[in-house]
Amino acid sequence: MILRKNYEEIFSINRDDISRLLGTALSKGGEFAELFFEYRISSSILMEEDIIKSSSENIIKGVGIRVINGLQTGYAYSNDLNLEKISKAALTAGSIANSNSKFRSINLDFKSTKNNGYDLKLPLSKEALQTKIELVKKTYSAALSYDIRIEKVSCGLGDELQFVTIANSNGLIISDLRPQTRLSVTVTAGDGKNRTTGFKSAGGRVGLGYYTDELLVETGKASSEEAIVLLGAVDAPSGEQVVVLSNEQSGVLIHEAIGHPLEADGVRKGASIMTGKLNEMVANPIVSIIEDPTISELRGSLNIDDEGTETEKVVLVEHGKLVGFMNDYLSAKALGHEMNGHARRESFSCSPIPRMNNTILLNGESTAEEIISSVKSGFFAKSFQGGMVNSTGKFTFSVNLGYMIEDGKLTQPIKNTTLIGSNIEILKRIDMVGDDMGFFLGSCGKDCQTVPVTCGTPTLRISKMTVGGTR
Amino acid sequence: MMNLNESNLLNTAEKLVDFARKNGADQAQISIGSGEEFTVEVLNKEIEKLTQAGSLGLGMKIIVDNKVATASTNDLDVDSLNGMILRTIERARLSNKDAFSGLPESVSEISDIDLMLFDNKIDDLSPEYKMNFALELERICLLDKRIVLSVGSYYSTQKSEHYLANSKGFSGSYKRSSCSSGIHLQAGDNNEKFEDGWFSTAINPDDMLSVESLSAKAVERAVRLIGARKIDSQLVPVIFEPGVTSSLLAFLSGTINGHSIYMNRSLFKDKLGENIAADKVNIKSDGLLPGKFGSKLFDAEGVASRNIDVIESGVLKSYLLDTYSGRKLDMQSTGNASGSNNFYLCPGNISLEAMIKSIDRGILITKLIGQGTNPVTGDISKGAFGLMIENGEISYPVHEITISGNLAVILKNIELIGNDFEWNRTIVGPSVKISELSISGK
Repeated sequence: MILRKNYEEIFSINRDDISRLLGTALSKGGEFAELFFEYRISSSILMEEDIIKSSSENIIKGVGIRVINGLQTGYAYSNDLNLEKISKAALTAGSIANSNSKFRSINLDFKSTKNNGYDLKLPLSKEALQTKIELVKKTYSAALSYDIRIEKVSCGLGDELQFVTIANSNGLIISDLRPQTRLSVTVTAGDGKNRTTGFKSAGGRVGLGYYTDELLVETGKASSEEAIVLLGAVDAPSGEQVVVLSNEQSGVLIHEAIGHPLEADGVRKGASIMTGKLNEMVANPIVSIIEDPTISELRGSLNIDDEGTETEKVVLVEHGKLVGFMNDYLSAKALGHEMNGHARRESFSCSPIPRMNNTILLNGESTAEEIISSVKSGFFAKSFQGGMVNSTGKFTFSVNLGYMIEDGKLTQPIKNTTLIGSNIEILKRIDMVGDDMGFFLGSCGKDCQTVPVTCGTPTLRISKMTVGGTR
Repeated sequence: MMNLNESNLLNTAEKLVDFARKNGADQAQISIGSGEEFTVEVLNKEIEKLTQAGSLGLGMKIIVDNKVATASTNDLDVDSLNGMILRTIERARLSNKDAFSGLPESVSEISDIDLMLFDNKIDDLSPEYKMNFALELERICLLDKRIVLSVGSYYSTQKSEHYLANSKGFSGSYKRSSCSSGIHLQAGDNNEKFEDGWFSTAINPDDMLSVESLSAKAVERAVRLIGARKIDSQLVPVIFEPGVTSSLLAFLSGTINGHSIYMNRSLFKDKLGENIAADKVNIKSDGLLPGKFGSKLFDAEGVASRNIDVIESGVLKSYLLDTYSGRKLDMQSTGNASGSNNFYLCPGNISLEAMIKSIDRGILITKLIGQGTNPVTGDISKGAFGLMIENGEISYPVHEITISGNLAVILKNIELIGNDFEWNRTIVGPSVKISELSISGK
């Protein structure tokens, strides 16, 4: 097990070796070199059709080597941590630069992480399989016994421990041990006429203590409740409407509409719709948005980013004004910004890019009741399948379950619809902000890399948005 | 670069199967995959990034007393592997007995045809050739004044080898090669930009689009969106371009896989033999097409690939099954443990132009965004871009619309099937005309 071990034991390598490897990577004249060592052990259990069908264990071990020259990157990786193999990969990455340079050895200074955002008291990865099976069984039976119309339940529990050591030619060497767990439930309900599914998940960078009986039961029930409500749901009406986004999962909106466009690689390339808009009003003044990896124990929390930079809270939008971006080394260098700990990668085989962690639209002053009751006729989005945005700012949210709002009250349940818009318009149309912050556990894909994230928002009212329906 | 000896890795897999059997596994399956990649990315006329690496990974499935556990690792040290096998055997004992579990009963006869999944020509492409191709691709695109930005071009080559052995005596391997290139562009002006691009991918480098054709297609796709308007909600006939047909087929392939069927997560449960699509619709899942990306001699369980009629003249003929879902449904595996192989809608004989001519008022849907598919109900709701069709001609681009419908209804409403069929993905189809679909807009 990797708890209480240091990088020398885990990767069978010492500081002098790493120092020499960085020197090798720079031997063709590169200006910055970095090694990212990763050891990740993950496991999962699946219960379906009343039995524990299978369990799995996955180990990822390897090193990624990056050399930067100007704005050019050379990248190589190896799952074999034999020194000769790494050294060869270092030369491969180094060949992005094209001159000969005098070999220089790098002086490395081991740094400890300052943030401490994980619950590592009882990591799930250390628990016996039988203990984890019990968690799954409790959740499963809560979902199945919720209603006679629940036909099938799948319940999975995944956990991982990721140990990373990052060293670079600026003399940094730092390690981080990151726990992650997620419990997910998918159910199918049927009433002889219709069939529906419901989904719910719970987790974060937490340990066994997080999974109380109450939480397990609540998670199972919530999944079934969604499927049962959907049995009575109908297609959405088409066209532009007032839309209220619930606090449960609507963080997806913030993630897509403002998060992605403020990742500085898109800004550096000029591709982001937010390029050149720093200090401009991009949202209604009641909107403030932050990106904060340092919040404890959320799914997207990190102590250091995947370049070894200490993470920090970044204010993105302050009372409607665009004030910050999420940076990695390259983007900060190109744009003349400070690095702020937002470089992430899926694994050692990917080079880091600016990413979100925990993206949050801060609470406002309205209650959810005030917001809903303010709407004469509109649409309430409760849960989502996901969202997507392209760099020109067009985005969609796929709503799993919604409700019509009539005379200030939630009425008819609505199934499977899409909200579509352009972010510049939507951010200005957020005209009521709730006081009931909710968090959504997500997995975000960008440039073929998937990383765990959290999005948070209170209940929000959007004055006008296109709802895709059939009526 | 790694130089892997094929017989050695297959031998390693066989030895690990024996080790598992000797240590308490009733059945064991070991798969090993190795890969090499070279990718060059270009941005603003410069090489932005070069990636070059090799990788190796191993997966295992262990069955003890009808109880299942799996594992995977890329730490291929022998002691670590043996340790993992022993842990997996122990974990299997904690699963519940599952009468449907287990490896395929018999060892498949694997066809000895050459599927042409690997082409040595890939080794003749020098790094300079790949860099120049990506640089040239971007350079040509940027010559068009309507293109305001390149989001980046790339050229990539990949090679991989696949090995599988199990305790029933199956042992097999194959290798693949591929090259691909593409570019993303933004067209328009500073007030409003539109993004699109194009790509080419092939096993044999000779089958790649030329840099001229690729750039022309990418530019055309981006600039045709300039000036896109929002439109009112309406119910109109639409044409799906091949890429859009492909995403419809991808949704379909998910609804007919065995797991969706036995878990009641498909609208096509209990629909075998029923008419689920227009009579002219024929859809196949073929794992044995020479030179195509979705082909493989055998699937992830060592079951020989086949050519399966999924929908024949509108009738649902087969699900896509692995051994487990086959047993659950009292059927045989269709050799689809690795997915849908080459999954395609057979082309018709009408041109896209003729299809457009057939529409007085409708929309050519050119791209979809978002998730918005529900396999249980078949409901589809996605964001879309397109070109308005008026009086049989393309009139203006549209955006910020959604399409809403149901897979069962859309399959029945396929009115025309185009002849513009191209093998550029594993799930492909030509343009199709759908008699009517709900569009939401203003």
